[in-house]
Amino acid sequence: MPSTTQTARADLAFGGTLAAAWSAFALGVRRNLANWPILMGRALFYLVAMTVLTALWDKVASQRLAGTLASSLPNGGLMMYVGVTEWITLSVASIHLRLEDDIRMGLLEPHLLRPKPYLVQKIAESLGDTLGRLIGIGAAALLALVATGHALPPLIAFVYVAILGPLGAALGVLIYTNVGLAAFWVRRVLPPYIIVQKIWFLLGGLFAPISLYPLWFYHLAVGSPFAASIFLPGNQMIAPSATAFGEALIAQIVWIVLLSGLTALIWRAGLRKVLREGV
Amino acid sequence: MNAITTYGANMTAAIRTSLMDRTNFILNSFGMVLNDIFFLLLWYMFFAGFRQVGGWGLHDVALLLGLIMLVVSISGVFFGGYRDMAATILRGEIDALLTQPKGVLLRLLARESIATAWGDLVMGIWMLITFAALSWSELPLVLLALVCGTTIYLSCAIAYASLAFWFAGARSFARDLTDFMLLFSSYPGSIFSGMTKVIAYTLLPAGFIVLTPVALLRAPTLASFAILIGATLGYASIAALLFHLGLRRYRQGLVPTG
Repeated sequence: MPSTTQTARADLAFGGTLAAAWSAFALGVRRNLANWPILMGRALFYLVAMTVLTALWDKVASQRLAGTLASSLPNGGLMMYVGVTEWITLSVASIHLRLEDDIRMGLLEPHLLRPKPYLVQKIAESLGDTLGRLIGIGAAALLALVATGHALPPLIAFVYVAILGPLGAALGVLIYTNVGLAAFWVRRVLPPYIIVQKIWFLLGGLFAPISLYPLWFYHLAVGSPFAASIFLPGNQMIAPSATAFGEALIAQIVWIVLLSGLTALIWRAGLRKVLREGV
Repeated sequence: MNAITTYGANMTAAIRTSLMDRTNFILNSFGMVLNDIFFLLLWYMFFAGFRQVGGWGLHDVALLLGLIMLVVSISGVFFGGYRDMAATILRGEIDALLTQPKGVLLRLLARESIATAWGDLVMGIWMLITFAALSWSELPLVLLALVCGTTIYLSCAIAYASLAFWFAGARSFARDLTDFMLLFSSYPGSIFSGMTKVIAYTLLPAGFIVLTPVALLRAPTLASFAILIGATLGYASIAALLFHLGLRRYRQGLVPTG
C-alpha cells in the first residue's frame, strides 16, 4: 500500500504533467495564430476545396436522376456537411511529421531525460495547433457562408458542431500520432500516412455522408473512429438532434480513450526498440 | 555535351539516388498505389450511388484520374525538382548552378526524383488500361495528351515557383497553387461553371491538363487538338519567360531570401 508521501508525490507529478501539457497546448494555439499568413493559406485552401466540392454536389443535386441516391440528398444539398468534414480534416495538425523528425533524427533521446513526458507534450502542442486551425478555418467558413447567403440549418446544429468538431479533430490528432509512431519501425511515415488518410476519408465520409453507402459498408464505417471523427459531427448539419449529438459525443469519448491506450502501447513498444537497438 | 544530355545524366543520377534505399522506395511506391486504390474506391462508391454527374460516368473519371496520375508521376520521376523549386531559389542554391555552362532550369528540375511517383505511374497505367474504356488505337492520342498535360502542369509549377524570385513567401504559396491545380484536375469537368470554369482554364489550368485531353480522347476534333497544342505552347512560354526574368533578378542580387 503506497504511503501518504508517495501518493502526494504522484499527485504533484501528475499535476506538473498536466500544467506542462496545458502550457504546450497554449503554445500550440498561440504559435498557430502568430503564423497567420500560413493560417490564411490554409483557410484559402479550405475555400477552394469547398468551391469544388460544392460545385460537385450542386451538379448532382440539380440532376436528381431517377433510381439513384440523388433523391436521398438533403434539400439544402451537402455543402454544410462537407463544410464541416473538410473543416475538421484540414485542421488536424501534422503531428506525424514532427514525431518522424524527432524519432528518425535521434532528437528523441534528450527529451527522455526531461521530467515531462515527451509524447504528452507533443500531443498537447498539436492539439493547440489544431485548435488554432479550427478557429482560423472556422472563421473563414462562417464568413464565406454569410457571403454566399446559403440557407442555414438551425442554430443548435452549430452548437453541436462546435463541440463535436474539436473532439473529432482531437481524434484525428490521435490517429496521426499513431501514424507518426510508425517511425520507430519505418524510415518515412509518408506511406502509412497516405494510406490511413485515405481510409479516414473513405470510412469517415469526407466527401459524402456514409449513410449514402451500401448498408454493409455503412455498418463497417460507422463503428470506426474515422466516422466518429468527421461523419458524426458533419451529420449534425444534415439532421441535428439532441439524441444523435449525445450518441456522437459518447462515441467520440470512447474512441479518444481507446486510441489513447493504443498510442501508449505503441509508444512503449517503440521506445523499447529504440533503447535496445537504436534508430 | 548539350543541355539535354546533361539533364539526362542528372536525372538518371536522381532516379538512382531515389532507388538506393530499396525498402523505403518500395514502401513509398506501394503506399501511393494503395492511396490511389482508395481514391478510385471513393469514386466507385460515388458512381455506384449517383451513376453520373453532368454526363461524366466512372469511365470518364477513371480516364481523368489515370491521366492526372501519369502527369504527376512523369513530373515526379523525371522532373522531381519542380516540387520544391521555390525553396531552392529562396535558399540561394541556384548559385552553384550559375557557374556551370548548361541550362539552369533543366538542372533544377533534374535535382530530385520522387519515389512515390512510381506508385502513381503504375496506377495511372493500370487505370487507363482497365477502367478508362480506351482502345489501343487511341494510344497516340493518349501519348499526346500526356506530353501536353505534363508540359502544362510543369510549366505552371515552374511559373508558381518563379514567384520566389520576387516574393519571400512564395515557397508555401507555390506549393499551395500546385495543390489547387491538382485539386481542380481531380474532378469531372462538368461541375465547373462561371468563375470556377474561368479559373480552371487560366490560373489553375486543370482544363488544359486533363479536361481538354479527356474531351480529345472521347470525341477527337481538330479544334480541341489545336486548343491543346496552343495551350501547351502558351503555358510553356509563360513559364520560360517568368523563370528567365526572375533569374535575371537573381543574378543582380535582387531576390529575397527565405
